[in-house]
Amino acid sequence: MHALEALPLDAALDELRQAPDVRYAEVRFVEERTEHLRVRDGRPEQVASGGSRGVGVRVLGAKTWGFACSNDATEAGLRQAARRALAVARASSRITANAVVFPARPASRGTYETPLAIDPFTVPLEEKIAEIDRAVRALLARGKPIQSAEAWMEWTRFTKRLVSTEGTDTCQTFTYGGCGMHVIAVDDAGEAQRRSYPTSQGGDGFQGGYEEVKKVDLLAHTDRIADEAIALLGAAPCSAGSSSGKRDVILDSSQVGLQIHESCGHPTELDRALGSEITLAGGSFLQPELLGKLRYGSPIVNLTADATSPGGMGTFGWDDEGVPGGHSPLVQDGLFVDYLSSRETAAALGRESTGTMRADGYARTPIIRMVNVSLAPGKGTLEDLVADTKDGIYIECNKSWSIDDLRQNFQFSCELAWEIKNGKRTRLLKDPFYTGITTDFWRSCDAICGPEEWKLWGIANCGKGDPMQMMQVGHGAAPARFRQVTVGSSGGRS
Amino acid sequence: MKELLGLCQDALREAGEAEVEVVLSTKQRGFARFAKGELGQHMQLEEPSAVVRVADGRRIAEATTSRIEREAIVLAIREARAAARFVPETEGFVGFAGADEPTGEDPPRFARSTAEATAEERVDRLAPVLERVAKAGFFSAGVLETRTSAVAVATTRGVARSHVSTTATFKVWALETPGAGGAAGYAGAVHRDVEALDLAAETERAIAICRDSRDPGSLDAGTYDVVMEPAAAAELVEWLATIASAAPEVEQGTSPFAGRMGERITGDGVTLVEDPLEASPQGLAVPFDREGVWRTRVPLLERGVVRGVLYDRLYAGRSGTRSTGSSLMPDGGSATSVGACAVHMAPGTAASVDELIKGVDRGVYVCRLHYVNGLLEPRRAVMTGLTRDGCFLIEKGKISRAVGNLRFTDSFLEGLARCDGMTRERKAIPTWWSEAGASVVPAIRMRGFRFNGKSQERPQPAGK
Repeated sequence: MHALEALPLDAALDELRQAPDVRYAEVRFVEERTEHLRVRDGRPEQVASGGSRGVGVRVLGAKTWGFACSNDATEAGLRQAARRALAVARASSRITANAVVFPARPASRGTYETPLAIDPFTVPLEEKIAEIDRAVRALLARGKPIQSAEAWMEWTRFTKRLVSTEGTDTCQTFTYGGCGMHVIAVDDAGEAQRRSYPTSQGGDGFQGGYEEVKKVDLLAHTDRIADEAIALLGAAPCSAGSSSGKRDVILDSSQVGLQIHESCGHPTELDRALGSEITLAGGSFLQPELLGKLRYGSPIVNLTADATSPGGMGTFGWDDEGVPGGHSPLVQDGLFVDYLSSRETAAALGRESTGTMRADGYARTPIIRMVNVSLAPGKGTLEDLVADTKDGIYIECNKSWSIDDLRQNFQFSCELAWEIKNGKRTRLLKDPFYTGITTDFWRSCDAICGPEEWKLWGIANCGKGDPMQMMQVGHGAAPARFRQVTVGSSGGRS
Repeated sequence: MKELLGLCQDALREAGEAEVEVVLSTKQRGFARFAKGELGQHMQLEEPSAVVRVADGRRIAEATTSRIEREAIVLAIREARAAARFVPETEGFVGFAGADEPTGEDPPRFARSTAEATAEERVDRLAPVLERVAKAGFFSAGVLETRTSAVAVATTRGVARSHVSTTATFKVWALETPGAGGAAGYAGAVHRDVEALDLAAETERAIAICRDSRDPGSLDAGTYDVVMEPAAAAELVEWLATIASAAPEVEQGTSPFAGRMGERITGDGVTLVEDPLEASPQGLAVPFDREGVWRTRVPLLERGVVRGVLYDRLYAGRSGTRSTGSSLMPDGGSATSVGACAVHMAPGTAASVDELIKGVDRGVYVCRLHYVNGLLEPRRAVMTGLTRDGCFLIEKGKISRAVGNLRFTDSFLEGLARCDGMTRERKAIPTWWSEAGASVVPAIRMRGFRFNGKSQERPQPAGK
């Protein structure tokens, strides 16, 4: 932390304090270190290390905000970035009708650091490459119809110091990691089926050290996913099997996590609900007049925003406005009760910020981001839930995702499904998708598995903002059952 | 930019390594983002990046830094050199690009007015936009960005290229509510010259669509003929290019092109070209790729027949062909990847979108799409997504009324096989993910497109 404390960030604040129209300013220094390792089909596809450092300055002028950034963290560079941010704020204030309301808050001070046992950046590069290379070789060793296999490992370390005109001065160091793999089987007719572990599209992430990679244990799962990819080539397409097109559905824990992400996490972002995110992602059906009134889900549905969950990708000490990371319910006993908010957006509703403002690196302005948005566990194991289901489908591992601009109509396809008959998994089904309306879907949730099945998943690349920002977020979830959901097969024209 | 290229070459000399590639880039972005009728996020962004690759024989490692200084670049080279010793060999690697790489004529990509645009100028340009939308009784949202990008690539084998471009992007929404749904209209344009953007005309278009979208009726899911504006069609075309056109996906067997070279896979009216050298104002791409290879115009689909695949040097070497200059520029040190950067769909013969609509007895007119995903079944290009910012019912050749947003799930290739109309006019559509910043597409008409769901037209409180 000493190097961070030696940075002349106060120079930027001094520059801004001299301007009578500056109501608030924050200076955020971020240093990022990354490592991306990827092996495909037995050859290294990417072995890349990265480093960046710079400052972002956000200024609240007479009426509105200005933001500027620089990779020059010297005193001169900081002062120049501050002047540019102020110039932008002043230019924008000329056409701002309603001055931003930004309530003051006490200064935050302290440090946060990811707890870890093994620093991933001290583990020899060859050991990390060998870990993923072994998995790829094991997958390819199966031979035809396995066509391709890929595994990856990624590490990111952010070191961040935030100072503000309110006296906030926090230093934080985050270490994020993740690894995963997938295999593709192709039959003679050209049909391709893919299986991934632990999840698809970038895999599962965590905040922690190299010890977490050992827990993922890629090699222990290569046989299973290769078997499943091959079996899917000959599997029947998923279908509702009824004229209604509906079936009871059990989602695996990772897919419940993504369902939370898209249909609860994003719509509870208050900047979206108030209309600030139209240019990329859209608005939200969760409007302020519904707070405390809308039955979002069934009474067993409890969703929380928690920036304190150990190991979560959405865990931190303070957000980028200096608000301490906290824990608050979003949906309580099925009722929509709160938002993910910032100081400005919360004030618009007469509420307190829930501390969710974060920026991607130094070159972006903070926006509301999910923390760890999680579904509280219920009772029992996945096998208990399957046994309790007379006629349904168990769906696993996401393949595609899509949801409308208000976060109501969603559709997800997954890598595989199992038909359930009389409490037993019977046959494998391929290309499953399910679709619905957010509130109808969560209201149909009648069972959530217990703590033994609950896992905190990590997403390293949640996209939001304009220009686009990527962020680390978490979702704790257990498998859950939803009654009478519209399902089908994405393969074959029906 | 000669300064960047000189820096590349200085760093290469000082590092003294045998096999190195250096890519330096800077972006200066003035980004004015407005919402709820106010300019709430106005940013002055500087995005410098140096990405180096070092090869030790066939062992390759990469390092990135945000410091565009000789010492920092040399340090990155040394770090990558140290890492390369531990990397397994890459089969087929034949060294970085050399001085013998062909070159071409630099297409026009720079406008001084964009490069010199200040925060004050962006505000002055946006003031009448915000005022006009408010006067129409709607909420405004959108972006005006002025960007200057410089990139230089040099290798120890003698590649030395540099380029400076500008991009001005305008996107505007007129909205019945600021974020709670209801009627919405969108318009947008992209050009290298901010002076060439007609903000007033785009704003009027967004307002008109929003006005026409009020009080939507409900339309059941089903199979409908569809007319898509370029902004909607572009989303599907870009996804098709992403899942189909690059050598890695073809090699993996997931691309619809895999094993089908020379085969007709969609309608004979469909021609899709990767056209990074387009000289007209619709062209925005850098004319060389991250490896310093001069980009080439690659027909991907010609009258529905698979004609081309995009390669970088490595995949080209493994396939016994030449690179098409399709190694995408590194973005903050992300994965080296191969892909399209300037997708152009050939135009049709229809004089206007109205002419396409005239040929529909009962169907849907779509202004824009949202959250399209093309990973459902890539071999058939099955995609899903929703309409947004203008969706209308067509009856007897005319737009009859606004309808609520619909979800589609269908194979785009099969949809294009049923495409029987495209406009002569094409539009450059700004996109957030395309390296060049825009795709160029006409409006299209497809018969029998499958819509499998609908959004609730208004948020529905359900009570306790």
